[in-house]
Amino acid sequence: MACADRYQMIQLHNIHKSYQRGNLSIPVLRNVSVNIKKGEFVAIMGPSGSGKSTLLNILGCLDTADRGSYTLDNKIIQGASEDELAAIRNHWLGFVFQSFNLIPRIDARHNVELPMVYAGVLPTVRQKRALAALKIVGLANRAKHVPAHLSGGQQQRVAIARAIVNDPEIIIADEPTGALDSQASHEIMRLFQQLQASGKTIVMVTHEDEVAAFAQRIIRVRDGEISDNQNENTPT
Amino acid sequence: MNTLHVGIFNDVLLQAISSLKENKLRTVLSVMGITIGICAVMVVGTVSQGMKKYIYQELETYGLETLWVYRKWKNDNPFRRVRQGSGINNDDLKFMPSCCASVKQVTPVVYHYKNNVPMHSKGNFTNANLEGVGIAYIDINNDKFNLGRNFRQDDIQHRKPVAIIGSKIRETLFGVHTNPIKKVIRWGDIRLTVIGVLEFKDRDILSQLGKADYDVNQRVLIPYTLYQQQLGSKDIHTLQAEAVSVAMTGKALNELTELLKRRHSYRYEYVTESMDVWIATAEDLLRKISFIGLLAALISLLVGGIGIMNIMSTSVVERTREIGIRKALGAYRRDILLQFLLEAAVISVIGGVLGMILGIFAGFGISYLSGYDLGISWSTAILAVLVSIIAGMLSGYYPAYRAASLKPVDALRYE
Repeated sequence: MACADRYQMIQLHNIHKSYQRGNLSIPVLRNVSVNIKKGEFVAIMGPSGSGKSTLLNILGCLDTADRGSYTLDNKIIQGASEDELAAIRNHWLGFVFQSFNLIPRIDARHNVELPMVYAGVLPTVRQKRALAALKIVGLANRAKHVPAHLSGGQQQRVAIARAIVNDPEIIIADEPTGALDSQASHEIMRLFQQLQASGKTIVMVTHEDEVAAFAQRIIRVRDGEISDNQNENTPT
Repeated sequence: MNTLHVGIFNDVLLQAISSLKENKLRTVLSVMGITIGICAVMVVGTVSQGMKKYIYQELETYGLETLWVYRKWKNDNPFRRVRQGSGINNDDLKFMPSCCASVKQVTPVVYHYKNNVPMHSKGNFTNANLEGVGIAYIDINNDKFNLGRNFRQDDIQHRKPVAIIGSKIRETLFGVHTNPIKKVIRWGDIRLTVIGVLEFKDRDILSQLGKADYDVNQRVLIPYTLYQQQLGSKDIHTLQAEAVSVAMTGKALNELTELLKRRHSYRYEYVTESMDVWIATAEDLLRKISFIGLLAALISLLVGGIGIMNIMSTSVVERTREIGIRKALGAYRRDILLQFLLEAAVISVIGGVLGMILGIFAGFGISYLSGYDLGISWSTAILAVLVSIIAGMLSGYYPAYRAASLKPVDALRYE
């Protein structure tokens, strides 16, 4: 192993989350505990409504749990303020969404620059780093294209460039191939493997076994609980 | 982590402009509200400042510090009734203004029939307002010379038959092309040599307000000593004076009347006049114009503000997902707040500047139609743009606050 000091990047302990619908409290996550090591590539799977997206949102600091503890890279996330969470998302996390979530009005480069805008990076540095990130995903020649002029696979690669541009520890991916054909899906997954090889921790929600096969470990969620948490693919 | 977001203004401005371009019609409509409001503010500012300029210019034709003292002819006390005398004479002048600390200078004004004194010159005839005055008269009345000179001590002392004439007198007796200096005009048997021509005085607005009681441009001024000689009396009909400042006019009047009463053993009562009441009337009029105008301007700005609030609210709803993305990528609350506030500010600045330009044109239009050159009030223009920014920010604040308060997970889920 290249990194002998692989410590726990993500520690979720006894996480509870429920949604309020009128007077009813609908539990979504019950007693969920997950540990993810630095550099791991983990897939979260489960039927719709199982709570896998909620789990991912909590992992991604987009949502907060009702109860339980969450430690990310030795930082206690539970109880952090909204702006503290924003800073953590900005510096430690990179997001890849099913629907790409690029801002349609601005070109690829400016989309990739956004996380750096909020990190306070100077414009000249931003531009250089954005172009470098686009080069990594193989889209250096599409920097000036707006999302509408890019294919789905290209848009997702722009989104990946945006996710890695602030050099985060963790990539949070919510069905990253859900809107792509199989060829584009493969390209994206190969990019993810590259990212893992460069030391990133990747947590991905998917419902495609084919895609999940790229991960080292699959966490299965059913009815708000973890039903299976095994190492299907041994790390290389 | 609390570093200043250096690039954010640039980014936000780009965002704002591109999102405004995306909805051109809507932008134009909401900009128009502010434009009309600012235009209204500009028009009000231009009119009230222009009017103020004109009214004060006309008030200055009397001199703002001018005051008048003359005998009160109707004395109700039968034991004190004095039939003869104007209550002011040449001997009184020796004590003025030295005895009155608040009085800068004094001139006697002697007249008999104030209006319609016939004057002739080589077959031309006109009715003049004949006044016998002192040297200080010109300065007190803010009169200026088109041609010639003021009276000298010598003219007054030796009752020289010299005259200073108003611009209309000059026109009717000599025409505009003839130099009337050293020409002679006849007042009955007396031949007056013209030594000066006064500049035209405009009292257009004031005459509409009821102040201008006679035509100043029909004056013929002669040394008061000469007029007294002709009238066979040393009476001075009106004492005109200038106070050291506008604020001191009341005090100056008291000093003058007290001096006169004392010197005449309290036989006479005196009437006093000053510009106070006219300044107050003018100020009151201007205040009313400004108030009504400002009210109208505020209402239209309010409408403009509501327009901005509307477009910004729509914009926030439409861009809920974008807000979610930005928050996911690490935008703080204040970043989102700033983005939408700046967007509102951009709309209102565009609206404000357009309104200012429109207002300037409207000002020209009003100047042209009313015949008064009102000029452009740049202070109002700057104020108007500032007001538009403030109005935009205020009305943009609520939608911006709502945007900033969105939870990222909810915003991202929004379709």
